[in-house]
Amino acid sequence: MARVTIDGRPYEVPDGGSVLGAVRAARVRLPTLCHDPRLAPSGVCRLCLVRIAGVARAVTACTTPLADGMDIVTASPELAAARRGILRMLAARRRSRAALIDESHPYIRVDMSRCVDCYRCVQICDEVQGQFVWHVRGRGLDTRIEPDGASLRESACVSCGACVDTCPTGALEDRLGAAHGAPDTWTRTVCPYCGVGCELDAGTRDGRLVAVRPVIDSPVSRGHLCVKGRYAFDFVAAGDRVTEPMVRGRGAWRTVTWDEAYAVVAARLGDVIRRHGADAAAVLTSARATNEDNYVAQKFARAVLGTHNVDCCARVCHAPSAAALRRVVGAGLATGSFDDIERAATLLVCGANPTESHPVVGARIKQAARRGARLIVIDPRRIELAAYADLHLAVRPGTNVALLNAMAHVVLAEGLGDRAFLAARTSGLEEFRRFLDAWPPSRAAEICGVDAASIRRAAVLYATGAPATSVHGLGVTEHVQGTDGVAALINLALLTGNIGRPGSGVNPLRGQNNVQGAAHMGCDPGVLAGSVPVDQGRVAFERQWGVALPSAHGRTLPQMLDGAIDGSVRALWIMGYDVLLSNPDAAATAQALAALDVVVVQDLFLTETARDYASVFLPACSSFEKDGTFMNAERRVQRVRAALAPRGGSKADWQIVCEAARAMGAGGFDYAGPEAIWDEVRALCAGARGMTYARLDRGGLQWPCPSLDHPGTATLHAETFARGPRAVLEPVPYRESSQTPSTEYPFQLITGRTLYQFNAGTMTGRTRNADLRPADLLDISPDDAARVGVGEGDAVRVISRHGTAVLGAHVDATVAPGQLFATFHQPAVRLNAVTGEGRDPVTGTPEYKVTAVRLEHA
Amino acid sequence: MAYEPVLTKHCAARDGYTLDFYVKNQRGYEGLRKALALQPNDIIEQVKASGLRGRGGAGFPTGMKWQFVLKDTPKPKYICCNADESEPGTFKDHVLMERNPHLLIEGCAISCYAIGAKVAYIYIRGEFYHVQEVLEAEIEKAYKAGFLGRNILGSGFDCDVFVHRGAGAYEAGEETALIESLEGKRAQPRIKPPFPAVAGLYQCPTAVNNVETLCNVPLIVLNGPEWFASLGPEKNGGPKLFCISGHVKRPGVYETSMHTTLRELVFGEQFAGGMIDERPFKAIIPGGSSVPLLLEQDLDTPASFDHIQKAGSLLGSAGLIVMNDSVCAVWLAMNLLHFYRHESCGKCTPCREGTDWLFKLLLRLESGDGQPKDLDLLFGVSTNIVGKTLCAFGDAAATPVLSTMKLFRGEYEAHVREGRCTLPAPWRAAHPVVAAHQ
Ligand SMILES: Cc1cc2nc3c(=O)[nH]c(=O)nc-3n(C[C@H](O)[C@H](O)[C@H](O)COP(=O)(O)O)c2cc1C
Ligand code: SF4
Ligand code: SF4
Ligand code: SF4
Ligand code: FES
Repeated sequence: MARVTIDGRPYEVPDGGSVLGAVRAARVRLPTLCHDPRLAPSGVCRLCLVRIAGVARAVTACTTPLADGMDIVTASPELAAARRGILRMLAARRRSRAALIDESHPYIRVDMSRCVDCYRCVQICDEVQGQFVWHVRGRGLDTRIEPDGASLRESACVSCGACVDTCPTGALEDRLGAAHGAPDTWTRTVCPYCGVGCELDAGTRDGRLVAVRPVIDSPVSRGHLCVKGRYAFDFVAAGDRVTEPMVRGRGAWRTVTWDEAYAVVAARLGDVIRRHGADAAAVLTSARATNEDNYVAQKFARAVLGTHNVDCCARVCHAPSAAALRRVVGAGLATGSFDDIERAATLLVCGANPTESHPVVGARIKQAARRGARLIVIDPRRIELAAYADLHLAVRPGTNVALLNAMAHVVLAEGLGDRAFLAARTSGLEEFRRFLDAWPPSRAAEICGVDAASIRRAAVLYATGAPATSVHGLGVTEHVQGTDGVAALINLALLTGNIGRPGSGVNPLRGQNNVQGAAHMGCDPGVLAGSVPVDQGRVAFERQWGVALPSAHGRTLPQMLDGAIDGSVRALWIMGYDVLLSNPDAAATAQALAALDVVVVQDLFLTETARDYASVFLPACSSFEKDGTFMNAERRVQRVRAALAPRGGSKADWQIVCEAARAMGAGGFDYAGPEAIWDEVRALCAGARGMTYARLDRGGLQWPCPSLDHPGTATLHAETFARGPRAVLEPVPYRESSQTPSTEYPFQLITGRTLYQFNAGTMTGRTRNADLRPADLLDISPDDAARVGVGEGDAVRVISRHGTAVLGAHVDATVAPGQLFATFHQPAVRLNAVTGEGRDPVTGTPEYKVTAVRLEHA
Repeated sequence: MAYEPVLTKHCAARDGYTLDFYVKNQRGYEGLRKALALQPNDIIEQVKASGLRGRGGAGFPTGMKWQFVLKDTPKPKYICCNADESEPGTFKDHVLMERNPHLLIEGCAISCYAIGAKVAYIYIRGEFYHVQEVLEAEIEKAYKAGFLGRNILGSGFDCDVFVHRGAGAYEAGEETALIESLEGKRAQPRIKPPFPAVAGLYQCPTAVNNVETLCNVPLIVLNGPEWFASLGPEKNGGPKLFCISGHVKRPGVYETSMHTTLRELVFGEQFAGGMIDERPFKAIIPGGSSVPLLLEQDLDTPASFDHIQKAGSLLGSAGLIVMNDSVCAVWLAMNLLHFYRHESCGKCTPCREGTDWLFKLLLRLESGDGQPKDLDLLFGVSTNIVGKTLCAFGDAAATPVLSTMKLFRGEYEAHVREGRCTLPAPWRAAHPVVAAHQ
């Protein structure tokens, strides 16, 4: 603490920080205009001038470091005159208006006649987002803030909204909700999109969601958001939200009461179970639903239906991460935290495109690289981060394992491993070394299409730049060697001692906000809540639930669909998941869904799956309309809060499941609310015990948090591994994908997300994000485009062994020749008709990231 | 005792700027050889003992500045030579760079050695195309002769010197704005602290020194700090270049000691030679446009940093702007504010907005539309600028207004009262500058 005097009165304030911090801590009013805690102090506006005893000139409080014993004067006739002068001058300037208004952007209105040249927009776009859109041009009174394009829409802007959030005047304004007036209530909750899990404030007025703004003190997002969290919330009020339960009879939907709906569900599920046994029923849950929703859903499957047939969409994304991490280090969880991005000296980004898919983390990585952290990017495409990287390895799709093995080879061959760590905390080194002897960079170079020198350099950069952290995405997991790819990344980390200490780690970037949570709550046939294998947890769960757990193994999502085709699975309950659009090999998925007797869909919208195959539709509400918790990619459990009442007759997922369970006569489903459900999770899972809702109030806590005074765990495996004292270095043999190019199918198609859309487009497709990226496009390299005669915008047919899809072409130099990239956001395109049946043998995760295709003019 | 020039002695010689000439006639690069035999810290001590003060404007002791340059750091260090020379009435640095470039190059090398830098950047003003050519050619020769580059004179010391030409902005001469500009950004100043000595170019320890300052360094090493100090009054030692402009017979750059009085500089036969057309002297701005005016009664002040400060102004960049009785104080202020409002970098509010207010108020007075309250407003806006801006530009910009209002209040009041300038100013009548300013 520092002792200071402010306007004659003594105060004790936290030391460090600025004079402004002290003044604020003392709750003395001092006007500011250019200050924003997210930004480096700039001293631009000069409103916060103060006098400090012994200092000749008046100084700006925001830029002056605090010192113990300072005698600060904030109010005097001189200072008041200076501030009045500044405000008077700012108020007096009027510039010709029309030319300064830019309404090109769907979300952001620019009216620079209101600008006060505080530069906050410039700074935040540079220092937080790293997009460098706003430029200061001219000087003196001619100083202007302009985007780097003809208009904001045509600039490099990625629509994160940070500049709007920081702008102290109306020069930059949100357009959404403007017609409804300013929000009168703000509710702190978590973004409904990706696994970064940014906290946001949802602004409501008259029962309508009119604005979203970032939360400054969020440990994850630190006052930042991306275009999806910030602006793509209008889906909540979309006209086609289904808000009453419906039952399909003879092909047509009939609106029914909830009681009727539950009665139908109970009868039809009961019927299937009676006739075909409990394992003929299955439940699929959603990584977009809360922990509480997922927990009751798996409890419903296990305790009410009596089957372990429960899975969630983590199956099709990060199940390999969980499987590999569980196998090697004993916990299927990110080993570190997002804060390791700032702590790391070296960042390895593998098979991920964070600036598009996990934008707030992407921005943090960009800033880390700008500050001088080493950055290595392994990705077939020249993604945005490649421009910031020391090294970009454009690996051929499906060959990560060969590349990572060769990097491990270099680490061992050149003696760059962490000997102490290897000796104390690993086993199997000798066998591993023998295995790696066969993986010199020259061999991997042939397979991966990356030259051997670059592979070596990547290994040296990673191994010598401790601490090093890796982040990976679906470019590692969505392969037939998905689990192996993650294991190879873990091996690299083990060799170099990069697990268990700050700034290191192996950290999967989860795709949806609750991928980590949904699986962790037991929506996985093999594990119960807390990721406890069924057999280990059986006793405790049976005691808590008061029922015997089924003994037969459950099915994963792909196995459920296989079962549907062979008749062993008859009923499927789907919570918040458009299986038809999301699964690969759409024709096979459709066939499976069509074969089912009962399909219950619980969702906001009549999804493609529901439209074509559901027998009962149960309208759920969005995460803006319910309470609960999400668990983000860094194991942080954060509170989700209702900002709105559920729309129409819709209900929270947990509530629907519980009411259905009760309708089926089950006990143990009469929770007072999400908190009661969570308390049951806490009772069952040691890792959640310390996480009461009260403690989760601001910023959440990182799993595990075993007691009420535990601060949560930023770094796992610090002393010992969850699986024991030593991790085994496992040789990971490379296997070739079956989707290698052939003369018939000469291209390799990679699928993925863009910044503006999210997965099947259920949410973003119903927002103005569609204006920013209207359609799924097929990115093709300029060489290939010229060779096959495809021009920008041409409609092309993409044909695989499994199906076809038609997309517009986009000639894009970030794609390597021989490869194609497409997004899968548009229901009409149905890109997953093209993707194949390849699966990771460990987890069943589909091989979305590589499909052999050919092109035809459509 | 007549003063013997040391900086500009050979400026008029046809090939005075060449390396050969420099080595033959100015004991060129002997200072560097001598310096490399010393410990870096010894050089800093010598510069401190010499009392050398910065010639860029602030007159800060150079040795002390170098001592502040962070020592214990793995980061590289830099010398940035401030050759932006944009202060109105200042035109000395370009003479040194064009006519005695090797003195600067040698100064850069010794200074780098002294602070532990291996690179010096010479940041020259955007309009100095020709200076860039000369400098770069001579730097090339210094490399060839082994005075720059690797292992200089077999000492193991490496030093590179680069010339960077700005884009033409007065503010780029402010040391932190200069650093930003060198980094490829807009020439806008940074907040201090941290000072460049701690976090300057690329956030590395940096000393920013004026051209003339660095040119003195080889002389100090060569002739000793005592010699240097003895040339001028106490704490104001060394040779000094004065740029004399305005209504004098022989405007130009004059080298002399800081014992020389303003009167000698303006009227002395070996200097500016007196007032043009023998019109009466009215006032002098002794340190470039940013400093307060002095009057006839102050002319016997020696032109040293300390004496001029005692007289109520600043030696600044030693740009002496001399004015006769035809110069209207209001017009002068307006003329200067026209410059400042154009050059304000636009970063901080009081300067960006305030300079425009000042200019417009002055323009109104000059155009005959001034109101009595405008004088209070002028004063109020000026005091809200002075001492309250991000960099010293604000003080510089408000000074002409405050100084002329203090010394020539009567002229301001007459403008309001009469709606016109009341001075007998035939020359200005023939040059209607007000129109041009709009
Ligand atoms: C607005 C402004 C403009 C300046 N312009 C120059 C300039 O053109 N040349 C210069 O040497 N110093 C200039 N300075 C002073 C520099 O900031 C700095 O004090 C000087 O380069 C330090 O060198 P010295 O210690 O050798 O004098 C300027 C300062 C300000 C505030
Ligand atoms: S919205 Fe984001 S990316 Fe776009 S200009 Fe503003 S800060 Fe930059
Ligand atoms: S647009 Fe807003 S944030 Fe940007 S400089 Fe102007 S007032 Fe400041
Ligand atoms: S005082 Fe003027 S020149 Fe200096 S930072 Fe402020 S606006 Fe820029
Ligand atoms: S808030 Fe301190 S200068 Fe703007």
